[in-house]
Amino acid sequence: MGVEDENNFKLRPMKCELNYLSKSDGSAILAQGETVVLVSVNGPLDIKSNSQSIEKATLEVLFCGKGGKPSVADRFKENVIKQTCETAILGCLYPRTGISLTIQELEDYGGLLTCTVNCACLALLNSGMAMRHMVAAISCAVNEVGNLVLEPSYEQVQSSRALLHFVFESREKNLVTGFTEGSFSEDTYEEALARCRLASELVFDFYRDIVRKYSNVI
Amino acid sequence: MAEVYKLIHPVKYFNDYINRNVRPDGRKFEDQRNIKLNVNAIKSTDASAVVKCGNTTVVCGIKLELAKPKAEEPDFGFLVTNVELLPLCSSKFRPGPPSDHAQVISNIVADIFANSKSVNLKDLCIVPDKLAWVVYCDMVCLDNDGSVVDACIMTLITSLKSLTLPKVNYDVETEEISVDTSIRTPLNINGLPVATSFAVYQQSPRSIVLIDPSAYEEEMCGGTGANLIICWNNGQFCGIQKFGGSNLSNEAEKKTLIIAKERSKLVEKVIETCLKNEIK
Amino acid sequence: MKISIGDVALPGDYCEEICEVAEKSKVIIGPGLRKEADRVYITKPGVLKKRSPCTYWVDSYQKRYVPSRGENIIGVVVQKAGDIFRVDVGGSITAALSYLSFEGATKKNRPEVQVGDVVYAKMLVASKDMEPELVCVDSHGKKGRLGVLTDGFVFKCSLNLIRKILNPSCPLLESLKNEWPFEVAAGMNGRIWIKANSMRETIAVGNAILGAEYLNDEEIKTMCNNIAAILAGHVS
Repeated sequence: MGVEDENNFKLRPMKCELNYLSKSDGSAILAQGETVVLVSVNGPLDIKSNSQSIEKATLEVLFCGKGGKPSVADRFKENVIKQTCETAILGCLYPRTGISLTIQELEDYGGLLTCTVNCACLALLNSGMAMRHMVAAISCAVNEVGNLVLEPSYEQVQSSRALLHFVFESREKNLVTGFTEGSFSEDTYEEALARCRLASELVFDFYRDIVRKYSNVI
Repeated sequence: MAEVYKLIHPVKYFNDYINRNVRPDGRKFEDQRNIKLNVNAIKSTDASAVVKCGNTTVVCGIKLELAKPKAEEPDFGFLVTNVELLPLCSSKFRPGPPSDHAQVISNIVADIFANSKSVNLKDLCIVPDKLAWVVYCDMVCLDNDGSVVDACIMTLITSLKSLTLPKVNYDVETEEISVDTSIRTPLNINGLPVATSFAVYQQSPRSIVLIDPSAYEEEMCGGTGANLIICWNNGQFCGIQKFGGSNLSNEAEKKTLIIAKERSKLVEKVIETCLKNEIK
Repeated sequence: MKISIGDVALPGDYCEEICEVAEKSKVIIGPGLRKEADRVYITKPGVLKKRSPCTYWVDSYQKRYVPSRGENIIGVVVQKAGDIFRVDVGGSITAALSYLSFEGATKKNRPEVQVGDVVYAKMLVASKDMEPELVCVDSHGKKGRLGVLTDGFVFKCSLNLIRKILNPSCPLLESLKNEWPFEVAAGMNGRIWIKANSMRETIAVGNAILGAEYLNDEEIKTMCNNIAAILAGHVS
């Protein structure tokens, strides 16, 4: 499904299938452009007593890269997703349980982490886990001449000066998570943030369309 | 009594402080902790620095080695950063392989440093495709009381600023290497990246931004480590990372950028004064 | 985003209608809704529904069971521990079922329940901070339809499919019951127990239920007729 806007910026075409895996509590496969990610959610389930928290559910995130070998960079990705999902999930409703989120990278043509965050949100929606709000990730590249490119393609990422990724929540469109690569000026940052905030609306509309598709028959 | 209260009502205890516009350690929301910096604390390394931001203490030691550059990047040297969070620094860490948190901190420090482009790796190359410097920067946290990334970046950049590279003669014919330690050139550093940590605390309807948070504040703000790290170098941002914690509104976010810029000026002054005193 | 009754609801949306009604009278907010400060927020994706006079909830898709009080469930006894049986209900932890909570059970007269038995029971206690507790009797000490389920066949499905087939307006069981005799028990935890005279008939009921998941009422009727025709041997 292609998503377009009056302001004439396009997101990469997003294609999604919910309930892709039959045995997990929630799963989603999402393609954003050529980047494809599969996320499975299980929980709330029983976990070891030493990792239980009496106040909220413990979230475990496992990121499996395409290469298969775990690396320090994977830990970083896991941390980003874990912290993002922790703010989104109403963990206080499921104390002393665990929620496990398993991510399998299938294809990476740029924007892997944004695709992963969006896919994780879809999988959580599919699992019926109680959530405070949804999250939408948008990336933005600063090209050689200093112009902003939303949702850059693989080639645009390679030639960019800086890359900025933002995750917004669906209530007030506040910033949940942000991370950047490369250096950039304050004005660029502000402009990128504002434009990504606008673009996040498209992702939320996409979520709504997906839920609308199955909502009349359940 | 206060200790018992803190245990029984952890959130209320923290809220009571916040409602009176003061933090549990007596600081105002926008106050940062005192910075103490010492250069060349370890004599056995090629360069070193110790920094104390409040209780947070991080030591950085730099070791130089020679190696052959990678075939695909023949005119680049190597700069390897690593952060260790040992059981020594906090009761949260257990002996054994580096925890996830330590790996994440290590990655953030490496990313911020690479993005700041303050060291040109080409400067570390001696003879293309034959010989290059490997700069090992090991940071060890002695006491973790929050804002570890700030302290790591500070010691790292101070150590690198005080680092001098000895002259190396390389004979292309015989492949013989001779190091002349009497002639030393300082490493060229472009700018001075400074990281500033924030913790965002949600006390609806307002969200409060705490600068230079302590470990306790980081914990209360619901993150593993600081929620927001802003790095400023040479009039540009070289890393704005926000993870978890409360969500940040547009106004709060603008305020943090201004604070980060102001703080970086101050830290720059601290580092420069410290290095100047060392030379004397 | 602001939404109203009947709309597609997503986590983070809020509904002002509920708050307006709440000012005048008491309202009941069911699954998928949560009151925060002065607004009612949606927590699950689905459709916002209302039943007069003032009960609100979100119909959502879910596979994992989270115990809630008063629901009839199908569980499997996994352990006998002194006075209680531990029953797997599909939630995060097992539920407890006391041997005294069967009809006519006393300290002397213990009920015949073995590990591996399937029980149809009611959730008596289900709170997020406590172990769930089951009973096989009502408040008058009668078992009603509750108790150990013998023979038959148990399979799992999504939670909303259970709600769908138990809905009085759903034509599925209505159409099937006239075709051939069978017994069915649907647990709100996403488990269905069926018993029919032959294997063929049991599988036919199971397939009919699972097949109904994404069909509307008309399609369900057609599907039931097809299955009945196949079973009767009219179509091979």
